[in-house]
Amino acid sequence: MRTSERGRRTSSAVSLYVIILVAFQVFLLTVAVEAFQTDHESLAWSSAAVSVVLAGAAAAFLRYLRP
Amino acid sequence: MSEIDTPAGDQPIWERDFPYEAVAEEEVTRREFTRYLVLGAGTMAAANVGLAVWTQLRSINTGEPRAIVALADVAVGDSYLFRYPAERDPAVLLRLDEREVVAFSQKCTHLGCVVYYQAEEERWHCPCHEGNFNTRTGAVLSGPPTRPLGRIDVEIRDDGQIWAVGRRQ
Repeated sequence: MRTSERGRRTSSAVSLYVIILVAFQVFLLTVAVEAFQTDHESLAWSSAAVSVVLAGAAAAFLRYLRP
Repeated sequence: MSEIDTPAGDQPIWERDFPYEAVAEEEVTRREFTRYLVLGAGTMAAANVGLAVWTQLRSINTGEPRAIVALADVAVGDSYLFRYPAERDPAVLLRLDEREVVAFSQKCTHLGCVVYYQAEEERWHCPCHEGNFNTRTGAVLSGPPTRPLGRIDVEIRDDGQIWAVGRRQ
């Protein structure tokens, strides 16, 4: 496989991975809303912590994306 | 160089003379698209943290102390509906005997349905998914809930009123 082809595939994989992370963020937001409605503080904080980590991971992956 | 050949700003002369735009110029690059996604992820993370803070701040047992109802107006074994700590928070108290009352948030800890007192079974019951809670402690007896009902600390004062004291759990 040529280098440019491998680079393009890597970039596509990074984009796809970020899409999956964002989809997971949507799920976590629904969990947080449910925790809010049932006054479940520990669940709300857990959801927020995972969400922040995922957002950080998505930002980190952006660095590896080719222009 | 003649006046005709002078470029206008950064625009090349050929582009001024032949203003052709390819379809691809309007497209968002992969990197831009992913940058939008990351921005969206950051926004959702911020919303998540905001919800967690809000959940923490609106704890059920932290309102201002206030009188709920006169003890004489609630018979032994009867329940009384009120709202605490805010008007949007349904709560219920139960008079257990002459000098003992307990109060809880009326929201089931499973999915937020309203619980009520079943005198014949001596338990708090959630009709949505058949969750049951202990009368005195609010602990889970059966059903899908995993956490006890939110307790509201109450006391009977000398004026004969039942007060919610707004203590932290």
